[in-house]
Amino acid sequence: MIIIAAILVFLLLLVIIIYNKLIRRKNAVDNAFFSMDVMLKKRYDLIPQLVDTVKGYMLHEKELLTNLTAMRQKSMELKSSANDKVVLDNQINDILQQIFIKFENYPDLKASENFLKLQGAINETEEQLAAARRFYNAAVNDYHNAIEMFPSSLVASWMNMKHKTYFNIPETDKAVPVITIN
Amino acid sequence: MAADNNFKQFYDSELHDLLQPLETERHAVKKLAVFTCLLFVAAVIAFIITSSSRSAIAGVLTLILFLGGIIAVVRLYYRKKAYVSKYKEAIVRKIINFIDPSFQYDPGSHISRTDYNASGLFIEKPERFKGDDYIEGKRDKTFFCFSELHTEHKVGSGKNAHWETIFKGLFFIGDFNKHFQGRTYVWSEYNPQLNFLNKLFSSFAWDLAKVKLESSEFENRFIVYSTDQVEARYILTPSFMERLSKLQDMMGQKTAFSFVNTNIYVAVPIKDDLFEPSVFSANDYNTIGDYYNTVQMVLGIIDELKLNQRLWTKE
Repeated sequence: MIIIAAILVFLLLLVIIIYNKLIRRKNAVDNAFFSMDVMLKKRYDLIPQLVDTVKGYMLHEKELLTNLTAMRQKSMELKSSANDKVVLDNQINDILQQIFIKFENYPDLKASENFLKLQGAINETEEQLAAARRFYNAAVNDYHNAIEMFPSSLVASWMNMKHKTYFNIPETDKAVPVITIN
Repeated sequence: MAADNNFKQFYDSELHDLLQPLETERHAVKKLAVFTCLLFVAAVIAFIITSSSRSAIAGVLTLILFLGGIIAVVRLYYRKKAYVSKYKEAIVRKIINFIDPSFQYDPGSHISRTDYNASGLFIEKPERFKGDDYIEGKRDKTFFCFSELHTEHKVGSGKNAHWETIFKGLFFIGDFNKHFQGRTYVWSEYNPQLNFLNKLFSSFAWDLAKVKLESSEFENRFIVYSTDQVEARYILTPSFMERLSKLQDMMGQKTAFSFVNTNIYVAVPIKDDLFEPSVFSANDYNTIGDYYNTVQMVLGIIDELKLNQRLWTKE
């Protein structure tokens, strides 16, 4: 009888420990997302300025700029889950990367002081955002390990814990273009 | 390691002639060192004879030889000091000037204790703090300074008390190219000061958390702790991690880095003294070339880590 009670107490303790660990991991993902959300807002604030500055020069990329503005608007209005925000940000990121590449075709734009200042601010934000994304992905990775590994996977399925979406880390984030203005 | 061609020309035109009088001086110091050793050997032999023969003359001779040895040691100390100082002023200063005339060199000075403590790289507080060969300057946009340092603390008590080295080597401080608020440490090995109990009670370690990074190669080389997980990744971008690994290959396995007060601190453990000429080996192009290469290697921290590539807010 005592042995059965001891086993039950042990199992109960194990479940409590696993439960707390899973909650800690989930909160870590939420915290990481929060710090990234701050960076995303910073980036959303820069997008209208970017569009205003470049639209006079990049006449052939009107569609790309319109898409970017629409995506930004959608993201600002989005009140749903972190997963949706991640998906939308991945799309915004793709468009931004395309625009950054096209800058090369517009020498007049590259010479504009306003643009250079703006690009400097964007570079900084992108670096901070890249760091926040990597932190978020690291937290998601820990969370996934916890919900997939036995025996915590049993408690996780009982708690109905779902997989989270990773942020895409673009290759360019590995070396965000840094501009120097003398 | 051979220095570059420009340096070879500089050596031939500027340094070679300066070395002649210094070599004469070195030979004199070397002779004094040998003479001092001989005096002590003679004193020991005289002492053995005195002990076995109990001769008064041998006893007086032992005393004279020992006293002579002590006087010679004192003379040797001052002579060597004067030689090293002359050498540094004549040769090392010229090398630094050749690399960049705006760089400041102070052979007797070193990185301050405050800066050393601010780096947080060594948690034990030093009770003995010494160093020399302080160099500072600005390379393009990046202010830097470095010097040799030797820090020690006392361990044990009573008869077992002895001095233990905390750090001996080259200590570098550079203005980092990004702004940050927190503290990030990149150690090459686990710091036992960061154990659970110390973390609870130490004002230094309580807010530090381990940073797990994506690169397994980097994780195998370094252990990263930071007060801010996002900021640690803002500093340690994937390309910057690669550069730190490359720098570790250049500088040595135990090189440690910290990022505090928008500075980068680099501690490179080195056993030998950096710009200290040896009395027993000749000063030739290779020896002088090594000094030049050492300074270039330290400046390589700025170039390798691309500290001159600045983000907008830290122009």
